[in-house]
Amino acid sequence: NYYCLSGHPTLPCNVLKFKSTTIMLDCGLDTTAALYFLPLPLVHSPRLSKLPGWVSKDGAINLEKELKECSGRVFVDSQPEFCLPEKELLDLSTIDVILISNYHCMMALPYITEHTGFTGTVYATEPTLQIGRLLMEELVTFMERVPKAQAATCWKNKEIQRLLPGPLKDAVDVWSWRKCYSVQEVNSALSKVQLVGYSQKVELFGAVQVTPLSSGYSLGSSNWIIQSHYEKVSYVSGSSLLTTHPQPMEQSSLKNSDVLILTGLTQIPTANPDGMLGEFCSNLSMTIRAGGNVLVPCYSSGVIYDLLECLYQFMDSANLGSTPFYFISPVANSSLEFSQIFAEWLCQNKQSKVYLPEPPFPHAELIQTNKLKHYPSIHGDFSSEFRQPCVVFTGHPSLRFGDVVHFMELWGKSSLNTIIFTEPDFSYLDALAPYQPLAMKCVYCPIDTRLNFHQVSKLLKDIQPLHVVCPEPYTQPPPAQPHRSDLMLELQPPPMSYRRCSVLGLPFRRRYERIHLLPELARSLVPSEIKAGVSVATVSAVLQSKDNKHVLQPVPKPAPVPPSKKRKRVMEEPPEVLNPKPLLSGAVPLEPFLAMLHKNGITEVKVEETADGHILHLQTEDVLIQLEEDATHIICDHNEPLRTALRDLVLRFLQKL
Amino acid sequence: MDSDCLSLLPAVCLVLADPKQSPPDDTSLEKLLDWFKELHSQSNGQVLLQHQPCQPCLLEFISSVCTSKTTDPAILSFTIKLTGLLAATTQGFHLLDEGGLLVYVFEREAWGVCDLWEDASVRSGWLQGLLDMLKHQQALGFICGNGLIKVILQLQNDRSLFVACLANQLLVHILNFLTSSNMTSGSDVVGSSESSLRPDWVSVSSEIMNAVVEALSSEDCPQVLQGLRLLSLVLSQCGEPILSTLWKDVLVPLEVLVNRGSESLIQTLITVLEAALGTPLLNQSEYKVEELLEAMLGDGNRKECFQCAALIVKLEKCPEVLKRKAMDIILLPLQCVSTQPQAEKEMNVVLKEQLSQKASCISLLMQSLSSLAQLAHTKYLFEDISIHSITSSVVLLLRMCSGHRPSSLLHINAFTHLIGCCKVQRCGLDTLGALSVYEEKLDLRKDIFGVLLDYLQSPDSHATVLKKTFQAVKRWIVCSPFPDLLQFISHDLFPVLEKRMCDLRWEVRDSTLEFITQLTAALNGNSGFSEALHTSGVVSVLLSSLADAEGYVRASAVTAVGEAVTASLYQTVLVSNSKLLEEALVQMMAILSQDTEGFPRRAVVQAFTSWLKGSHLITALESSLSSVLSLGGSDFDWEVKMHTLELAEVLMEKTLTCCPYAVQNFGSSEETRFTQALIKLKDFGLFDLLFNSLFDCDRPVCEKACALLVKLRTLTAETADLDHSVLVLNVCGNRWGDEVQRRYLNKQQAKASGCVTNGVTGSDEGTDCDLHCSKDISLPKILQILDLDDMQRMLTLSSDHVVNSPRSLMEDILSAAQQNEENIVDCY
Repeated sequence: NYYCLSGHPTLPCNVLKFKSTTIMLDCGLDTTAALYFLPLPLVHSPRLSKLPGWVSKDGAINLEKELKECSGRVFVDSQPEFCLPEKELLDLSTIDVILISNYHCMMALPYITEHTGFTGTVYATEPTLQIGRLLMEELVTFMERVPKAQAATCWKNKEIQRLLPGPLKDAVDVWSWRKCYSVQEVNSALSKVQLVGYSQKVELFGAVQVTPLSSGYSLGSSNWIIQSHYEKVSYVSGSSLLTTHPQPMEQSSLKNSDVLILTGLTQIPTANPDGMLGEFCSNLSMTIRAGGNVLVPCYSSGVIYDLLECLYQFMDSANLGSTPFYFISPVANSSLEFSQIFAEWLCQNKQSKVYLPEPPFPHAELIQTNKLKHYPSIHGDFSSEFRQPCVVFTGHPSLRFGDVVHFMELWGKSSLNTIIFTEPDFSYLDALAPYQPLAMKCVYCPIDTRLNFHQVSKLLKDIQPLHVVCPEPYTQPPPAQPHRSDLMLELQPPPMSYRRCSVLGLPFRRRYERIHLLPELARSLVPSEIKAGVSVATVSAVLQSKDNKHVLQPVPKPAPVPPSKKRKRVMEEPPEVLNPKPLLSGAVPLEPFLAMLHKNGITEVKVEETADGHILHLQTEDVLIQLEEDATHIICDHNEPLRTALRDLVLRFLQKL
Repeated sequence: MDSDCLSLLPAVCLVLADPKQSPPDDTSLEKLLDWFKELHSQSNGQVLLQHQPCQPCLLEFISSVCTSKTTDPAILSFTIKLTGLLAATTQGFHLLDEGGLLVYVFEREAWGVCDLWEDASVRSGWLQGLLDMLKHQQALGFICGNGLIKVILQLQNDRSLFVACLANQLLVHILNFLTSSNMTSGSDVVGSSESSLRPDWVSVSSEIMNAVVEALSSEDCPQVLQGLRLLSLVLSQCGEPILSTLWKDVLVPLEVLVNRGSESLIQTLITVLEAALGTPLLNQSEYKVEELLEAMLGDGNRKECFQCAALIVKLEKCPEVLKRKAMDIILLPLQCVSTQPQAEKEMNVVLKEQLSQKASCISLLMQSLSSLAQLAHTKYLFEDISIHSITSSVVLLLRMCSGHRPSSLLHINAFTHLIGCCKVQRCGLDTLGALSVYEEKLDLRKDIFGVLLDYLQSPDSHATVLKKTFQAVKRWIVCSPFPDLLQFISHDLFPVLEKRMCDLRWEVRDSTLEFITQLTAALNGNSGFSEALHTSGVVSVLLSSLADAEGYVRASAVTAVGEAVTASLYQTVLVSNSKLLEEALVQMMAILSQDTEGFPRRAVVQAFTSWLKGSHLITALESSLSSVLSLGGSDFDWEVKMHTLELAEVLMEKTLTCCPYAVQNFGSSEETRFTQALIKLKDFGLFDLLFNSLFDCDRPVCEKACALLVKLRTLTAETADLDHSVLVLNVCGNRWGDEVQRRYLNKQQAKASGCVTNGVTGSDEGTDCDLHCSKDISLPKILQILDLDDMQRMLTLSSDHVVNSPRSLMEDILSAAQQNEENIVDCY
């Protein structure tokens, strides 16, 4: 069975029950709920602190302290909260393992592994773990740097929420939203991670083998193969066929899957990453040439490496040589350095640089030549070295917390400046809502390198899974472009789709188990050929099942009966092994059988044709013989000798084993 | 010189005929043959055939090559061609025929090695030889008498395309030759057919024509194709009576082919019919030319009819009715894809099916679009179809290509095929641009500029698509200025252009700059435009593009800035003008002196030239001109030097004829003004440039400089009382100065000795008679000293005139043979 704990197609969190194991696939955290909250400013913002509180029109509800109004929208004034994966659908303590496909899909891990009774193992590649840790630590720092005295909860009251203005009114499951976890929880959760390498086979309880494969999306990102002896499930999440920094996607191992679970396709199927990258560069250069600053809200790992690389090549041609680039994040330094040491996880091109030896990413050179400077925060060194016009890369892309909030307040008022959104996770209009009215230019060029529908349909044609399971949005065109039938999955058979809280039964075709035969048992078998190339033997053995492995062992010889007089003892002895009756095979042909009956003196036979065969009525003896394809019945009351005789006649036509 | 060469010929023949020598390369043989051809045509065949040592050695050469057992195919092919050439005159023909050489050469059974026929170069040489020879009746007699027609007909289907093509040409030549005046009996009447031919030739022509008919009736496609190719050649090159006779014969098989409608034959069939359209056959209904073309189109229900229609639309001499029918068919795919469902009730099944497959859908639409563009280029008058609806179809199609879907549409499949399809986008944009000729009939400007702007803005537009978009925008802007033009340019167009000038792809930056240049040039004189240009941010981005990393982009930026400066002259706000020019000059001079690539430096000099050529006087340029001349003249790139000389030419013209830069003193005589102008040019360093360039290492540069100096000499000579003393140039310390001094001294010496021998002393020249080296010589004097006419004559000869002679060619062949021998000796 397949349990869907998250409806978000690119931040999946699903559970697969397969061959007596319970496997969680990814642990994504939907942070879009943060958009309902007011930004957390690093430096006191008079504008934000002066926002009016919200009171319902009739004055009946006063939530002045909890809700603030800004340009016609209401925001919760509290520490931002996140929407967690569904916890009620199944008992999280029963989860055996969690497979992580990339560092963006593990942000909910502490919510799952801590305080839930989880005792299993988390599997992830090393870059996934290390960069995932950075992103989690960054998130925690962002929150803990700006503590809020109290948490707003009154607005969540159903009766009150109903009366709030949109979009708060329409927010779902608000009671399950949670505040960010702590560093301790992060450390504890990550201590449960066991590292794996690409193509490494990991046995789970002997029943299932899981293998990570390169998915080409980010450093250490992986797809997973989950297979038993006779079934194979492929889990494809966040894959990319573009040539960026990570190792290219491994496709051939995904072939012959019974079920392929497909998640993490591009979120912006109409935006081609190359075009967007071009758009990013030209807007950036245009702003700098006009003397403005550029703000790029981004995650501290991932696309930023590609952006820096692209800018590195573009800078000279665009006369940006003297413009400083700042990367501000509590983990900026570690992120830039980690990227350089995971050489084995990089694309061939970058790997080969390491042997020269040269740093695989050109941002090393940018740092060396002082073109790119990185700081943990806007406080400290940064403030003394800050020079404008400049380009700032900083988080968080939701614009609700992190250093980006400060730059929004600082630069928002000038139309010379530009904010360029490159992360596709958040609607840029929603992200900008608490900063309105805004004079700064906004450019939306989401760069999502994950598979698009065109690529995925080609991929599926190649690897031909028997069944595809995917989130519901992939089975219909995007709501904004209902005519784009090319932006959906059209497969035969149609994909099985899921949404949050769905439970699917996965269609597996084969229901076999592999059983091992011990050599001594095998030696005792006497195969007899029933048709050319097919031999059959009967086996009498003891089946031992342990750790999901099944072994046939020879039947232990009955121990010589110890001289004991206690009856009880006798009862405990293994039952005596009887010689099995021979197995019969073959068919009883009608005409020869009638001839045989005739020969044995049974002449009056009435033959009736039925759907399954024939019924022979021996009228004199008042006996019925039913001849069917897989059964023969002799109905003969009170005449055992006749029955035996008839049985023997039937047996003459059958082979014995 | 020829006789000189002819003396080498026997030795060359020996080398060529020597099977131990590896043959010279093909080009040498071709050049040798060219020389023979030239020689032969100059002397009407006399030289080669009568020159004593030559004639026998050539004959000997031919016979030895043909009989040799080890001849190389290249040599044999050369020999056959040579023989054909020699036999082109009756005299040569007889000479060769008497010795039996002709049969030796053209009868392959007579060759030493029959297998050589397998080599395509030999077969092609054989055909070429016959073609060259066929200049007189005897030659034709030889061909027919020896049954060579059959061989030629076989070669028509040769596996080598060159051979097959040559065979066709030869056959057409034979047919033409049969009907030419020297072959016909002369007593015939116009309109009669083969009766006008001499009876013995009738069989020849009918043999060829029967072969054509047979080929057309064949089941073998390549054979049919060759037959059709020959037919179209005959139609375009032969006259009556061949034309009508052949056409009558081929009409039936041709009809069969047309009705069969095989895809691989369409192109060739159309070529045949196109050729037929150009003949008198068209006007005779029994020849059914028009009928056949119409049959090609069918009723629009065949897969092939679209290709036919596309071809027919392009035909020049096509009857109007037919063209209209073809147009209806070829526009169908475009209309079907981009019109509302109710309009296509009767849409045909074939088209529907074709549109549902990606490849055929795209190719159909492209045929449709390019045919439309073709018609627009000829400003075709659409009568049955509204040009308005067609244009909106193209606009709609372009929108579909970028993912926009019109409100209701039948062809969902076609739509998904089109999204992001660059091919259709490019083709559609070309067509849309071409449709601008119908501008006054259309009321679609808003839609058209809307879609073009979308393309310019879209991040997914391919660089080539953007280029096409720019072209289309330009055509629509230029075709007729409209009221909101400036509004559109400054509000919609300029912001996009600014962004595109910062594009990641240099190709896009380059084509954007080119577009700005073209637009500025096209709207030259429109003060509103230049004001919009200079008040927008475009100019500042233009200036920063001068420092682009890509050389091509810098070059385009230089041109664009140049054009912007020119446009600024029409503007009233003068302050910003001078600032732009000032900044442009600083950056351009930096490019000229420092840029590592040639293109930007060339562009800088060209920009100066165009400024100078313009009607406005730009006084600020004056201070930079001398640096441009000296930097440009000493550039490493010869094209920069050439452009600098062009600049010098313009400068000379302007200064000496209109004198805008000369000080205008009223009352001063014409002569003083001229002298002052020359002084001005001297101050610019123009003379240094010209003299330096005269001795440049690049011939075109010298040539140009020489031409300019000759012009200058003429002008100075025309002005009688030129004050020499004020136009004195220093001739020391540079190459041209040394040369002038050397010549000066030579002349002095000659004159001095002349003085002594003749005992005559010149009046004023006598003072120059002392043999002192002079540091300063006046300009007119220098122009006299230099023998410019002789220099110009030498320079006009091409640089390889010394080595490119038949003599050197033959010497090369001989020395290669010698070296070869030496090498062989070395081996032992």
